[in-house]
Order: sequence, then C-alpha cells, then structure tokens
Amino acid sequence: MAQTEHYILNMGPQHPSTHGVLRVKVELDGERIVHCTPVMGYLHRGIEKLMESRTYTQCVPFTDRLDYVSSMNNNWAFCGAVEKLAGIEVPERAEYIRVICAELNRIASHQVFIGSLLIDLGAATGMIYAFRDREKVLDLFNIICGARMTCHYIRIGGVIKDAQDEFLKETQKFVDYVPQMLQEYDNLFTGNEIFMERLKGTSIITKEDALRFNMSGPNIRASGHEYDIRKIDSYGVYDRFDFQVPTGTKGDNWDRYRIRFEEIRESARIIQQALDSIPAGPYMAKVPKVLKPAKGDVYHRVENTRGELGFYIVSDGTTKPYRVHIHRPSFINLQALDTMCKGLLLADAVAAYATVDPLMGEVDC
Amino acid sequence: MWGKGLIEGMRVTWKHFWGKKETVYYPEEKLPMTERFRGGHLVLDEKKCIGCKLCAMGCPNAAIEVTVEVDENKKRHPVKYVHDLGRCLYCDLCIEACPSKCISWDKNYEAASYFKEDMKYDAVAECRGREKQ
Ligand code: SF4
Ligand code: SF4
Repeated sequence: MAQTEHYILNMGPQHPSTHGVLRVKVELDGERIVHCTPVMGYLHRGIEKLMESRTYTQCVPFTDRLDYVSSMNNNWAFCGAVEKLAGIEVPERAEYIRVICAELNRIASHQVFIGSLLIDLGAATGMIYAFRDREKVLDLFNIICGARMTCHYIRIGGVIKDAQDEFLKETQKFVDYVPQMLQEYDNLFTGNEIFMERLKGTSIITKEDALRFNMSGPNIRASGHEYDIRKIDSYGVYDRFDFQVPTGTKGDNWDRYRIRFEEIRESARIIQQALDSIPAGPYMAKVPKVLKPAKGDVYHRVENTRGELGFYIVSDGTTKPYRVHIHRPSFINLQALDTMCKGLLLADAVAAYATVDPLMGEVDC
Repeated sequence: MWGKGLIEGMRVTWKHFWGKKETVYYPEEKLPMTERFRGGHLVLDEKKCIGCKLCAMGCPNAAIEVTVEVDENKKRHPVKYVHDLGRCLYCDLCIEACPSKCISWDKNYEAASYFKEDMKYDAVAECRGREKQ
C-alpha cells in the first residue's frame, strides 16, 4: 500500500507575507495544514537586558523599538510605569496630548494592519490606499516630535515638547478626513466579494480559546469578549471620554478585520473630544535630573494597538532598573496560530497571520 | 448581487486615476523637513562647547565620543567629536543634555552609505570646514 508522509514547509523568516522575520513551520497534508509552529527569536535584541544597564530616562528610546508601528503607546506604557514607581504627577495638558498621540498611533497602526492584510491577500492596490493615509498621521508626528515612527515623545513626567497650534490644527483636519477615508476603504475593499469570501468564517477563535490563550486587544474582542484596558483599568484621562469598544461575534478573520476598522472610527472620536477640551498649562512635571525611584516593584499596563502591553519594573533604589519585564501582546496572541490554522488551506494561513497582526519587534523584544 | 462590490472598487480606482498625485519625484523633488525634525549629522558649535561630555554621558547607545583638551587658561575645548550614525537612535537625548545648547541636527535624512566606516564623522572637523567657507 502506498504510504504518504506529512510535508514540512518553512514559511519565513524571509517570506514576504510573514510580517517581518517570523518563521512558521507548517506541517502539511497535501494542501491542508495539520500543524503550524511559529519559531521566534530572529529579531531578538535583548531589550529587557539592555534596560538594566541604562538609566530610566535612557530606557525610553528602546521602547520605540518594541512595537515600532505604535511607538507612542510603548513610550506611554514605560513612562506610566516609572511615574507610578516614582510617584510623579503628570500635568493635565500632557495627559491630553498623550491621548491624542496614542490614538493617532492606533489609527496609523490599524492602517498598517489593513494594508498588510490586503497585500497578503493579493490586493496590492488596496495597501497603497491604507499607507497613503497612514502617511498623514506620520506627518503629524513629524510636526510634533521630529520623528515619524520611533517617536520618543512621551517621557517620564509628561511630553518633551508642547503641542503647537500647527499640530492641533492639522490633527483636526485629519480627524475631519477620517469618515471620508473609511467610506473610501468600504467602497474599495470591504464590499469586495473576493475579500469577504476569503475572510468570512475562516480561522475561527472561540471566546473560550481566546481566553485560554490569554489573548488581548482586537483579537480577543473579535471573539466577543469586551476586554479593553482603557475601560477596565483606565489610565491617563481615558475615563473622561465617551467611546465604544467594538466587539465581534464569531472570532473569524472577518471580525478581526471589522473590529480594527471600527476602532479607527472610535479613536477619531476620542481625538475629537480631546481636541475640544485640551487645557492650557504645563506639559512636563518637575522630574529630578537624576531619577532614583524608591526600592520596590510596579506593573503598569496600557491598551496598545495589539493588546495589553505591560511593563514590570523592579527598582533597587539606584538610577537604573534592576529588572524589566515586558508583557508583549503580539507574543501571546501568536500562540493561537496553531489552533487558528488547523485544517485550513495553506493560502488561508497567510490571512490568519495577517489578522493576528503580530509585530516581530515586539514578539522577539 | 455578486460582483457589485468589485465594480464599486473599480470606480474608486478610476476616480484616482484622474485625480491629484500623492507622491513626489524623489530625488529631483524633496519634501521639506519640519522644524523639530531629528536626523542627519550633529552640527556642533565648537566655540560654544565647554567640553563637559554630558552629551556623551546622556547617550543611551554610546554613539558619541568626545576628546577634550585643556588649554593654558584651564578652559576645556573639544578636539574631536566623533558621532557614530550607525549606533545613533536619533533620540535627541544628547541635545537635551547639552548645557550650552551647542549641538543641533542638520536635518539631512539621506544618511545611507556603502561602508560602515562612513557612518562615523568628526563634528569638530565639520565645524571647522564650515567656518573656512
Ligand atoms: S540622538 Fe540619542 S543615540 Fe544619537 S547620539 Fe544623541 S543621544 Fe546618542
Ligand atoms: S554636552 Fe554640549 S557642551 Fe558638553 S561636550 Fe557635549 S556638545 Fe559640548
């Protein structure tokens, strides 16, 4: 009798559709996936270890390099942790600027998600539209802090430079443009039948599975679990804004796509409210030049664009952290890949990677 | 109806075919950089620099190496100020640390080079070159 063997295929680490240097070992039975194992570590830079030999202030630029498409949120998570540890009170205006920047960054990051999902499904044109609009956000960052991706703008105690009128005006222009932008996306690809059929009902993660894997962010919300740090453990001034947390029902690829789409709309709403009520005043607290938090440890988490990003910092009373551990949402979300892909066709695995939206800078850290 | 979405998408593409261009013809045409832009070489004002090395100490990635000389009046001067672009995070911490505000960015974003060695330059030499001109 003829015997068949499972075929092992390596996707990545230099495959164009694996979003950075992710390698996935796929075990195939014909076209069907039996097993897939993500292999990580190709982008490991040892950021946690590097931070142990840097002062608290010097650690902040390294957080930019974790999730490099939403650096503002990363900066905020680390700075928030140090502020908690050292008991620093952040001025009102800084909190508002932080919210504006973080939400702008969420929009930019979701546009990368939409763009890369489209290009993975073969729709290169659609990707150009998403990246064109992301460019508008990056230009805003360029105005406020002088960098487009590795912002290093949110600092311990506030923000490093005040938001100029030019920035606020341009942000208002962008927020006004958001509904038109989303309408165009809807016309261009959301309504596209091929796109729908590729995504609907594929790679389902049930709510139970999502909880079992400890997923967070849009991925768990797509499975119907309303889990958003901005609501359940509010930080900054998020409790002052009125916004919805979009949730899905099935937890398939389509839900994961729609959730991010709706989040762009909600982020724009938050930015609008923040722009309307931003107070005047100082943008930086009085932080000692040599920062020496008292002995102790702290955990602070924020809702990053990919889920719950947390920093656990242990201080030994010196200028440098004794230990830093980073709870990275991409790393944890990626564990669900095997469950998502089992039994699917190989081509659908590509869509599954794209909708989990892992970022290798954060996975490998 | 199956295919309606496809036609709608075509309409969007078609509209942009005749619309305004979003890109520029780089390198013939270059976009201006913003006032706060961080990038390029560090422009050092040699006369203002007091050789305190706070910039090098503030750098998280050891990208700056300053060699200082003390003259007969016990004043400190930089004789060499090597900045390694390959290590630089463009984080601005050096500029923020400088007490005499004598360094700034030249805002040139075309920093790519063929060889690793070309990523190092001496800011003091560049400063003297500028003064000669
Ligand atoms: S920008 Fe940052 S990394 Fe670069 S030289 Fe200055 S302090 Fe060092
Ligand atoms: S911090 Fe400023 S003054 Fe001090 S050595 Fe550096 S450039 Fe010179």
